[in-house]
Amino acid sequence: MGSSSGDLRYELSQNAYIKLVLHSLNHPTSSVNGVLIGRISPSNDAVLIDDAVPLFHSHLGLLPQLEISLMLIEEYFSAKGLNIVGYFHANERSDDYELGGVAKNIGDHICRYFPQAAILLLDNKKLEALKKSKDRSAVTQVSSLYVRDASKNWKLVQSEGNSRFSLREPSANLILLDYISTEKWKGIVDFDDHLDDISKDWLNPGLFN
Amino acid sequence: MVTKTEENQLNRLESQVDNAGGGAWEYLCLVRKLKLRRSDKVLKHGLSILNNPSKRSALGPEEWTLYEQVAVAAMDCQSLDVAKDCIKVLRKKFPDSKRVGRLEALLLEAKGSWELADKAYSSLLEDNPLDQTIHKRRVAMAKAQGNIPGAIEWLNKYLEIFMADHDAWRELAEIYVSLQMYKQAAFCYEELILSQPTVPLYHLAYADVLYTLGGLENLQTAKKYYTSTIDLTGGKNTRALFGVCLCTSAITQVTKGKSKEEKEGSQVQSLAAKVLEKDYKQRAPDKLPQLTTALKSLTLSS
Repeated sequence: MGSSSGDLRYELSQNAYIKLVLHSLNHPTSSVNGVLIGRISPSNDAVLIDDAVPLFHSHLGLLPQLEISLMLIEEYFSAKGLNIVGYFHANERSDDYELGGVAKNIGDHICRYFPQAAILLLDNKKLEALKKSKDRSAVTQVSSLYVRDASKNWKLVQSEGNSRFSLREPSANLILLDYISTEKWKGIVDFDDHLDDISKDWLNPGLFN
Repeated sequence: MVTKTEENQLNRLESQVDNAGGGAWEYLCLVRKLKLRRSDKVLKHGLSILNNPSKRSALGPEEWTLYEQVAVAAMDCQSLDVAKDCIKVLRKKFPDSKRVGRLEALLLEAKGSWELADKAYSSLLEDNPLDQTIHKRRVAMAKAQGNIPGAIEWLNKYLEIFMADHDAWRELAEIYVSLQMYKQAAFCYEELILSQPTVPLYHLAYADVLYTLGGLENLQTAKKYYTSTIDLTGGKNTRALFGVCLCTSAITQVTKGKSKEEKEGSQVQSLAAKVLEKDYKQRAPDKLPQLTTALKSLTLSS
C-alpha cells in the first residue's frame, strides 16, 4: 500500500479549509464537526483533502445522525473517486485545546475505512490571531493535525516549521479573511440543517461563487 | 422552543432591521420574548436606539429593560466597556436593586474574575436563596472554566430544587451526551417525556440516545420512540424516519436468525423508506440517488 501515517503529508485545499472555518464561525457557541473528503496523491506520499462537508452543531456524540450522514456522503463522493479521509472538530469553549472522546471515536471509525485518516482540531487562538493580524500572506492555517500512531493513539503533529501539514493554495487565508469580513458564514449549510429541512444542500454549491 | 411562525417573523424583522428598514424595537422585543441569543444584532441595534436621545425617551419605562438587554448582549460580545456603561446607568436609576446586582456579577464573569463573581452570587443568594437565574449562573461558570464535572454537580443540585425546569434537564442531557454518558442522558430524557409526553423533540432525542447505547432492548425501545415521534409530527420528521430504518437494520443484525417480528419490523421500515424517498424526490431530487442506495443497503441487511 502507501506509506504509513508516520510519513504522509496532509494538504488542505482552500475550499475545504474555508468551509470548515466558516462553519465554526456560524455556530460560535457550540461545538461543531465535519468530514474531510479527498484521496491519496498519485505519488503516494500525501493525503490530498479536496473538500469538506460540515456535519453537526448539536449532539455531536449521537450515532444515528452520524451514521446517516456518513452513508450519504460516502455514497455521493465515491462516485467521484473520492473518500472520507478525515474528521474536523471545533470545541465548544474557545480555550479548550483537548481532543475529546467523541472526536477520537469518530476518527477511529473513519480510520476503519481509510487507515491514514486525520483529525483536524480548530485552534481558536490561531483563528483570533489571524483575524487580528490581517496578514493575508500568512500560510499557517488555523487548525491542528492529529494522526494515529502505531498503537492507534491520536497524536498531535507539530505543524510549525515542517511541511507535514500545509495549505494547498497560498491565497487561502486571504480569501478566508475576505469571507469573514463579509460574514459569509451565514450561508453555510451543514448536515444538521439538511436533516431539519432536506431542501438545504449540504454540498453548499453556491458558497464560492 | 420557537415555533415556525415565530422563526419566520424573527427572520423577517432581522433582515428588515439589518437593511435599515426600521423595526429595531420590535425586533429587540421579539428576541427578548423568545429568549434567543442574537447578541451581535442586539448590541448593534440596541445601541443605535440608546445612543439616540429622542428614540431613547420614546421608550418610556422600557428604556431600562433595553439597557439590561444591551448590557447582557455586550458582555456576550466581549464589549465590556459598553456593558459597564449600561450597568452604571441602571445602578444610578435603581440603587438598591438585586437585579442590577446580578448584572454586576455577570460582568465579573465576563471579565473572567471567577472568584469575585462567585462571591457576588453567593451573597445575592443569601437574600434570595430561590433565585433560579443565579443558580444557573453557577452552572454556567463551572462550564465556562472547563469544570464539567462541577457543572454536572451544580446542575443536579439545581434540578433537585427546580425539577420542573425543562431547559435545565435538556442542558444536563446535552452535557452527558458530550461526555458520552448516554445512560445518564437517557434518564434526563425520560424525565422530560414523563412531564411533557406530547413534545416530539424529547421522544426523538431519547430514541437517538438509546440507539447510541445499542443492545437489542435499547434498539427496540428506540424504534418505538422513533415511531411515536413520527406519530406526533405527522410523519414529517426526517430524523425519525431515518431512525426507524437504522433501528430495523440494527435489530436484524443483532438478532440474526432469531426472526420474530421480522415481517412487522420491515413493514414500518419500508413505509418510512417510502416516505423519505417521496420527500427527497419532491424537495431534494439531486440527493435522491444516494438516499435510495443508502436505504437499499439498510433494508438488505434486514
